[in-house]
Amino acid sequence: MLGTGTLRRFPFAVVALAAIPGTCLRGADPAPEQVEFFEKRVRPALVRSCYPCHSGAIASPMGGLRVDSREALAAGGQRGPAVVAGEPEASPLYRALTYAGELKMPPSGKLPDVEIADIGEWIRMGAPYPGAEGGAKAPAAPLEKARRSWPFRPVQDPPVPAVKNTGWVRTPVDAFVLAKLEAARLEPAPPADKRSLIRRATFDLTGLPPTPDEVDAFLRDSSPDAFGRVVDRLLASPQYGERWARHWLDLVRYAETNGHEFDNDKPAPWRYRDYVIRAFNADAPYDQFVREHIAGDLLPRKRLSEDGALEESPLGTVFFWFGEVLNSATDSVKSRADEVDNQIDVVGKAFQGLTIACARCHDHKFDPIPTADYYSLAGIFHSTALREDALDSPERAAATRELSRRIREVNARIEALEGAVPASRPAIRYRPEDAPFETFEGGFGAWRTAGAAFGEGPVNGEASSLGAGAEAFTGTLTSPKFRTTDKLFLHVRVSGTKADEKLKERGPLRFTIVADGYKGQHIVPDGTPGAYWKTLRLVLERNRDCYFEIVDHSREGYIAVDEIVFSDSAEPPENPAAPERGGAGAVSADSGELERLRLLRRQLEAQAPEPAYAMLASDDWPRNARIHVRGNHQQLGEEAPRGYLRVLNGGAAAVREGSGRLQLAERLASPDNPLTSRVMVNRIWKHHFARGIVRTPDNFGATGDAPTHPELLDYLASRFVESGWSVKAIHRLTMLSSAYRMSSESAAEALRADPENKLLHHMPVRRLEAEAIRDSLLSVAGALDAKMFGPSVPPHISKYQDGRGKPESGPLDGEGRRSIYIQARRNFLTPMFLAFDYPLPVSSIGSRGSSTVPSQALLMMNNEFVAEQAGRWGRRAISQAADPRERVRWMYETAFARPPEPTEIDEILGFAEARRSRPEEEIWADIAHALVNSVEFIYLR
Amino acid sequence: MPVHRARFTPERHSRREMLCRCANGFGGVALASLLAESAAAASRLPAPHHAAKARSVIFLFMDGGPSQMDTFDPKPRLTRDNGKPIPLKTPTTVFNISDKILASPYAFRQYGESGAWVSEIFPHMAGCVDELTIVRSMVSDHSEHTAANYFMHSGSGFQGRPSMGGWVVYGLGSECANLPGFIVMESGLVPPGGMDLFGSGFLPASYQGTLFRKGAQPIADLEPRESDAAAQREKLGLVRRLNKGVLERFGAVSEVEATIANYEMAFRMQSEVPALLDLSGETPATRKLYGLDEPDTEEFGRECLLARRLVERGVRFIELLPPFRKGCDRWDQHGSLAEGHRVNARAVDKPMAGLLTDLKARGLLDQTLVVWGGEFGRTPCAQFPDGKYTDKVGRDHNPFGFTMWLAGGGVKRGLTYGATDEFGYYATENKVHVHDLHATMLHLLGLDHKRLTFRFGGRDMRLTDVHGEVVHDILA
Repeated sequence: MLGTGTLRRFPFAVVALAAIPGTCLRGADPAPEQVEFFEKRVRPALVRSCYPCHSGAIASPMGGLRVDSREALAAGGQRGPAVVAGEPEASPLYRALTYAGELKMPPSGKLPDVEIADIGEWIRMGAPYPGAEGGAKAPAAPLEKARRSWPFRPVQDPPVPAVKNTGWVRTPVDAFVLAKLEAARLEPAPPADKRSLIRRATFDLTGLPPTPDEVDAFLRDSSPDAFGRVVDRLLASPQYGERWARHWLDLVRYAETNGHEFDNDKPAPWRYRDYVIRAFNADAPYDQFVREHIAGDLLPRKRLSEDGALEESPLGTVFFWFGEVLNSATDSVKSRADEVDNQIDVVGKAFQGLTIACARCHDHKFDPIPTADYYSLAGIFHSTALREDALDSPERAAATRELSRRIREVNARIEALEGAVPASRPAIRYRPEDAPFETFEGGFGAWRTAGAAFGEGPVNGEASSLGAGAEAFTGTLTSPKFRTTDKLFLHVRVSGTKADEKLKERGPLRFTIVADGYKGQHIVPDGTPGAYWKTLRLVLERNRDCYFEIVDHSREGYIAVDEIVFSDSAEPPENPAAPERGGAGAVSADSGELERLRLLRRQLEAQAPEPAYAMLASDDWPRNARIHVRGNHQQLGEEAPRGYLRVLNGGAAAVREGSGRLQLAERLASPDNPLTSRVMVNRIWKHHFARGIVRTPDNFGATGDAPTHPELLDYLASRFVESGWSVKAIHRLTMLSSAYRMSSESAAEALRADPENKLLHHMPVRRLEAEAIRDSLLSVAGALDAKMFGPSVPPHISKYQDGRGKPESGPLDGEGRRSIYIQARRNFLTPMFLAFDYPLPVSSIGSRGSSTVPSQALLMMNNEFVAEQAGRWGRRAISQAADPRERVRWMYETAFARPPEPTEIDEILGFAEARRSRPEEEIWADIAHALVNSVEFIYLR
Repeated sequence: MPVHRARFTPERHSRREMLCRCANGFGGVALASLLAESAAAASRLPAPHHAAKARSVIFLFMDGGPSQMDTFDPKPRLTRDNGKPIPLKTPTTVFNISDKILASPYAFRQYGESGAWVSEIFPHMAGCVDELTIVRSMVSDHSEHTAANYFMHSGSGFQGRPSMGGWVVYGLGSECANLPGFIVMESGLVPPGGMDLFGSGFLPASYQGTLFRKGAQPIADLEPRESDAAAQREKLGLVRRLNKGVLERFGAVSEVEATIANYEMAFRMQSEVPALLDLSGETPATRKLYGLDEPDTEEFGRECLLARRLVERGVRFIELLPPFRKGCDRWDQHGSLAEGHRVNARAVDKPMAGLLTDLKARGLLDQTLVVWGGEFGRTPCAQFPDGKYTDKVGRDHNPFGFTMWLAGGGVKRGLTYGATDEFGYYATENKVHVHDLHATMLHLLGLDHKRLTFRFGGRDMRLTDVHGEVVHDILA
């Protein structure tokens, strides 16, 4: 008894822990149940209560002690080793936890007894400590080893394999496919008939059914490259870009509203949608497209719109901002971290097929992505802010400035003739409780202008969107970022044209306080003459990083602000007599000259350009992020230098200046990046063959599927880069193959040997996507409006859709526009789309579901829109021919690209005959409705 | 090494997931679970992980966040110190306005053999306390409606995860032949977050909740467009005959076959739903029990009665949303607490008590898990809409300690579990996190929350993410 007590009294003074056999901390390979015990009962407590001060994530752990690994515990801190294996009572760590001695840990309060008991039990087991707690220290898998695993290996340009059946090989793609089939002693399916082939190709490239004329032209063309001509025609059609842009929008969680409680509109998100359509139609090189997404605003040479007026490249960066936006974040640091996490998730999956976001809380379990690399990337995005900026090209901006100069010149001459006297502006008398933020006495200072409206500086102490000389100019004035205090009230003295407050951040005339990126409260002018105070009560905007924006995106009206003051008082400072706007002086004698100048002014004003703004990225306060230990933003670890994932960074140096987006863009768009080209050619392949060569198109990592045809994947990736990253080149290479032209009939033998069709022995049958189904309905009904681009059509809202932020309903038929132009309201997505597996705009979705649910059948049977279009299709059929057989034939060719079988004609005419007492329009509407409900309408073979 | 690593198995997908994916084929499980004949479906349902205590769930979701100190968790200290500053470190809340203590405007009494405390605004529920486990120590992670709603429904504060109803149907299938397995009933209020609260997230679309509105046509596209049923049947007959030819053309593709079979089910649903809604077979006593003929309780009473009828039909997960009351924004009483909570309680009190009584009388309570609560609770401190202390005073959001109750299938009867501090601000004893609630609900249904997974984005996703412990203390 005595002996033990003595020993216990001096445990860490005399025991060099690792040196004495039997007391050393349990070495490698703890038993599984011990691992489980540790992970469930011990590690969480250590992480929560001890890591904040005692882990490798802290630059200098308290008392020199770290508890995040076996070695660290054994080494101990200033007080010596912390744990005596097998003896909790002798372990300083345990004693500190029990508050038994002088040292009491954690200092904030004793842990629950059950946790202390668990830690005691664990020490009694020998303190088995599985694995290294990586953090910044140890990448999950050594990078060199990782670089040898297939997705990270450089793309090879493999030789085209030799095959027996050389006659089947139309493009090298076929050799790769056939080599595998021959090795498995399987035959490819016979070629599809020409009608099936053109229907397949037309839906694939345009999302629409071929017209009977297009089918006829193909049938008549017996030349060997007849199908090549079809593919070229389709690739050149504007509908191609609309179809493939939609595939792309799935990858960037495209949404036009913020979701959350009120589902407010995002500003002009459709400009991005149009940008993507134009990029696909123009076959913009994919590497450039990628660069523009990451850093389009920073590129030294930007693509311009066709007429040269607007910059095209910056529009790529709009994709950063399609995420959900909280309407009143109580923890804005966490909200921002969540936003960045979503951006990392999308960038990782869309461009690289990597689930990088998995490394937010711990090193990626399967891919070579340590948490530190996640935060290197996070630093880049934390240094990037949303800015609603003008798209004007430098030429247009210069022309606008010149126009503004001329108008102001004319204004000055008019004022001189009118004898207008500039108003003097009485000073505001501020009170002790006021903290003036801006009085616009000097220039704009650190405020930043976009567009021309606010001119070159305040006029007479006022920042006004008339600064450029006319209401027709547009622009934004943005304050620098600053930290707000506890003051509860913000008083702003404004004037301007009456505007609609309900439009919130979409409002074209407004003053907005942006707190931690959230556009919280707005002030709009109410049209009263003169300047007047408006007051905001600050709730979530206190003690935050804020900025103001003063916006005039309207060609009519103006807004002006002359005083911005924070205050403890709910009452604004006393308003001295409002400055008068150019009081009338003596009337000039030369009224003819005045008339002439006014006319000139109107003519000049009419030349002011249409406003074009978009949600762009911009560099903002470039800084490194610190690791969030276990993903917790309140436990900051080491700083992670800005940069891309080490495994893919090509040895690039850490970012020193700017956000690092330019460098990231170069890494992603580099031909040396083994994933960028592979991931994109796989996506193209997926949309032609229903499944990718890698069947998990957004996950090329170890938890995804391995490629079924790795050499083919690399062959396509090589050709992609070689073609100058031409997406259309890959379409041609793929579609002109015999593989693409196979029929969907599968031989029983092949199905038995390869039920999942991994070797591609036939073309799979596919259901059309939601948008293709709706567009087909409009197309056969003759109701499809080919109009492209522009603001979206509001979605039709049925009485079955409800909730906050419910918008006004748009027309039932969406004005006949293609589905890509129906507004994607996050909280009010179109039910027809949702029923047919339209993805929620929350992450990258490279492969949509294809489910079978009763709501689909109910919709096709009973929905008003479907019935309306069927009615129109029926009327069209009546107008095509008098002979019912001819009508049926035309309907089949319109929808299915084939003539009906005689039995089908008989069925339909029998149905019509049974209803002969009814009006003809009704009968043919019913027939059309039945055909729409036939599976052939929504399936491709 | 978080726990989820251990769940990766050499096979890429769990059996359940395979079944679910293959379910797009004719006769597959997703269809079976959703709509197939019940007898045949039962044999094709996915197996639970262990013996279940409950077959169905009725979730009485109190949108807006009822106040714990004004319902089931009385705090005399608040009455004593009414108007004084609260001597606690208070967290940031949504409006973050005042630190002045606010006494409950209501009187509390103990009821039943269990002696549970209930506020005067729940006179009918007071008679049912011996059926309840009242958990006074709930904790959530979010103090804003939308995020907290997503969190309570899907275990994540963001849009895009499957709702728990979807998880349950994914895990167990539905025993109902002609109705969806996950049904949500509303009477004019969809909570912040919208329909995605009941979404299927990354699960197949078949696991979406179906929203039933009040009225004769509760769901979209249910009413045939044809003038009479015969006309529709003829048209579908033509479709079927045309499809036969198409099927030959396409070959025996299971997905296409399933689509054809789907029409039969949709057709049956057209008549099943009106039959469900037809309450003419219910006795006057039943109508009275649920308060069906009183203006205050008519809407929620109907939801509760329909919930019982859905349980009888084998529907797996039923969520009820409270009715709209003009002037009281859900349970979200930032102002006018005294009046607002009274009005909201009156709308649900009698129907809920009626539901428990009726389920019990029919022997259904034992196999039905009933769960009551909001997305969070409310602060003990006052919020003054007018800047002054008047009867318009209310309470802010509080996810740090709030009350929910459970009843029926597999939970203890007459238990009050956990506690908040003397002000009711923070849960202090036997904390039950939302993840723990989810784990416990799944457990009672025979599902292990750690094994109910779906592979998405390279991870085996769970309702409880990487968290959650079953609260064994409240299990019967």
